[in-house]
Amino acid sequence: MIDDPHFGFILAAYLIAALVFVGLISWIVTDYRLQKRTLEQLEASGVRRRSDSEVL
Amino acid sequence: MSLAFANPRRFLTFARVAIPWVAVLGVVLTSIGFYSAFAFAPADYQQGETVRIMYIHVPAAWLSMACYGLMAISSIGTLVWRHPLADVSAKAIAPIGAAFTFLCLITGSLWGRPMWGTWWVWDARLTSVLVLFLIYCGILALWNAYEDPARAGRAAAVMTLVGAINLPIVKFSVDWWNTLHQPASVFRMGGPTIDRSMLWPLLYVAIGLTLLMLALHLAAMRNEILRRRVRTLGLIAASTESRGPSA
Repeated sequence: MIDDPHFGFILAAYLIAALVFVGLISWIVTDYRLQKRTLEQLEASGVRRRSDSEVL
Repeated sequence: MSLAFANPRRFLTFARVAIPWVAVLGVVLTSIGFYSAFAFAPADYQQGETVRIMYIHVPAAWLSMACYGLMAISSIGTLVWRHPLADVSAKAIAPIGAAFTFLCLITGSLWGRPMWGTWWVWDARLTSVLVLFLIYCGILALWNAYEDPARAGRAAAVMTLVGAINLPIVKFSVDWWNTLHQPASVFRMGGPTIDRSMLWPLLYVAIGLTLLMLALHLAAMRNEILRRRVRTLGLIAASTESRGPSA
């Protein structure tokens, strides 16, 4: 397959796909850590919701 | 079923258990699919090795529409049933759908250049997918235009449902118009025209990436729930400060 004249196009397609997936996963994981840390800081500072019910 | 997860705490418990299992199963199936696509599936008699771009392009195209379909169902949930997690789901799936549509456009272009002799043509299929990507971008911009998530959710839901008219246009564009893009060869009346040796790896990758998409969707929904909790606590902290220490 490496000898194929269009190998560069195949490689580019899969490299870009890998970049998109890595970017998407990294963004979601980073966002999760950021939200969790911020939430923990707020709760540690004594901020509480009025009820224990889940308010979005 | 949907009411069972109307409580975000219950949803978070479910997500914590489901995300790793769905993600691992997705990675395993996608890996099997890609391995089969490169190790066992033959080169095409006309396209040669370039046909291997199909194993990422076609699942990305399917998932770009599946994500929009999921977003449209969530939008109905927001506007009609006012399900508490519907707009969370709609917001969470938008960037994932946009990523798959972007991938579909880029890999299609990389496939088109050696096979058609051009990176891009303004035919009905390519143009309608570009419109789908622009709609995703518009919805993402709308989500960020409002500070109140509930108002943003209603506005985005209306835009999503208006934009859903583009889904049948994307699907049937190759039948309704004369396009450079080939007609459907898997989901069509009369069954697939693609050979089994290529169809099975394609289906493995498609199912695997669908599971990965669902895992990412659940994870993004979890993030959005946490973000709204942060916002609520931030508002409480701000109002407590404005009342002063004696209040």
